[in-house]
Amino acid sequence: MNGRGAARCTTADRRAPKRTVAAVTMLIAATVLSGCGIRIPADPDGTLDRITDGTLRVGASPSGSLVVTTDGQPEGSLVDLVEGFAEERDARVEWTVDSEEDLVDGLAAGGLDLAIGGMTDNTPWADRVSVTRGYPDVPGAGGASVVILLPMGENALQAALEAYLDEELSR
Amino acid sequence: MKSVKSIGRTDLPPQQQRVLRSAIRWEWFTIAYTIVTIVLIALVLGGSQAMRTAWIEDILSLLPQISFLVALLFIRRRPTRAFPYGLHRAMGIGHLVAGVALLAVGGILAFEAISLLVRAEHPAIGTVRVFGQTVWLGWFMVAVMTVTAIGPFFYGHAKSKLAPTLHNKVLYADADMAKADWTSTVASIVGVLGVGIGWWWLDGVAALFISLGIMWDGWRNSRGAVLDLIDQRARTHDDKHVHPLAGEVVELLAALPWVEAVSVRMRDMGQVFHIEAFVVPRRGSVSLARLEDAHERIVRLDWKVQDVQVIPVRELPEEAER
Repeated sequence: MNGRGAARCTTADRRAPKRTVAAVTMLIAATVLSGCGIRIPADPDGTLDRITDGTLRVGASPSGSLVVTTDGQPEGSLVDLVEGFAEERDARVEWTVDSEEDLVDGLAAGGLDLAIGGMTDNTPWADRVSVTRGYPDVPGAGGASVVILLPMGENALQAALEAYLDEELSR
Repeated sequence: MKSVKSIGRTDLPPQQQRVLRSAIRWEWFTIAYTIVTIVLIALVLGGSQAMRTAWIEDILSLLPQISFLVALLFIRRRPTRAFPYGLHRAMGIGHLVAGVALLAVGGILAFEAISLLVRAEHPAIGTVRVFGQTVWLGWFMVAVMTVTAIGPFFYGHAKSKLAPTLHNKVLYADADMAKADWTSTVASIVGVLGVGIGWWWLDGVAALFISLGIMWDGWRNSRGAVLDLIDQRARTHDDKHVHPLAGEVVELLAALPWVEAVSVRMRDMGQVFHIEAFVVPRRGSVSLARLEDAHERIVRLDWKVQDVQVIPVRELPEEAER
């Protein structure tokens, strides 16, 4: 049994190096990079950095008392939340009022940074854009888990926005 | 499961009975551990393709244990008139099913990973709220993957010690996969951290790496199972070498004074071997007593060889081992 045991080790090790080397290399690379003072999570397209002290381009689609448009100017509880988030980042909000699908196209094409409306955590757009956690406590939501849409994979923006909403809605 | 004392017509020696009991316990433990792992990962599953791939790999990793335990229910049965060779092949069939499933799902996951990379889709990983704090979900993914990596290391090594004693290839392949499991875990962590630092493509690359690993496991398992099912000459539990028993049988018979020439065909039924030994007797004849004696000697060689035919012939068949 001992003799066979020795043979087994060599056969297992012969195959292991390729996988092992690749895995360890990737781990080291990731550790080194994450140690270089890079913020985690980060945005692949740098949206959060761009809007900070800049312009936050938000699309709005009318929905109940969450988003109401009077004379082309959006108002409502979700609008207030977005204005509050922009204020926290010293950003100026640039509003676009459109249909939900056009807003999603805008996010995917990079023309918008956020989109609000009556979207909930069951939104079918989740495979094209990032979706925040659901917030049933948004005034006027009527218990529905309201979400905000943002460009796919802009995780720093999403983390900042969710942290703001958590803070704001738990008051 | 009641303790297994025999498989097919083969009575297991005490050591094999003990090892088999231990193997069964380890397989149940592995299933329980893996189910906990699957639930834990499901709780933190976000938009990372690498995490999704590692999660599906964990689900698939149950297949070898399930097929081992199910096959055990069959192979322990004695041969009957309807199944005169016993049901040993059940182990090989289980092995093949697990291998094909790994290969197919690994292929689908590799395709998914590649198409994500081609479409340059950025993985989304949001936050969770725990105890009044908003925390990036990625950190939980890394934590869960790190914790769940510990188990396979232990049960992988334990099972790989048991497999040779039982000459069980499903158990061996299972142990081998468990021992390599940590590479997928590391890859998924790398993928998540890659997303964390904004390198969205690292997630797809990690997912591709994991799915290629699954495909490789599937290929090795299917190939090994098919080769045994189509009766290649018996090889060792790890398929690395021709099994030495065939040579030992030839040696044993060649040493008998009445034997002029000998050759052997030995196939792996899964756990046990089936042997046909062809002997050319000196002066062209042999008594029944001598044939029975030769049979007796072979059976005493090893617990795995109890289905043996000693066949007197004028000329040895070409393809048999000399």
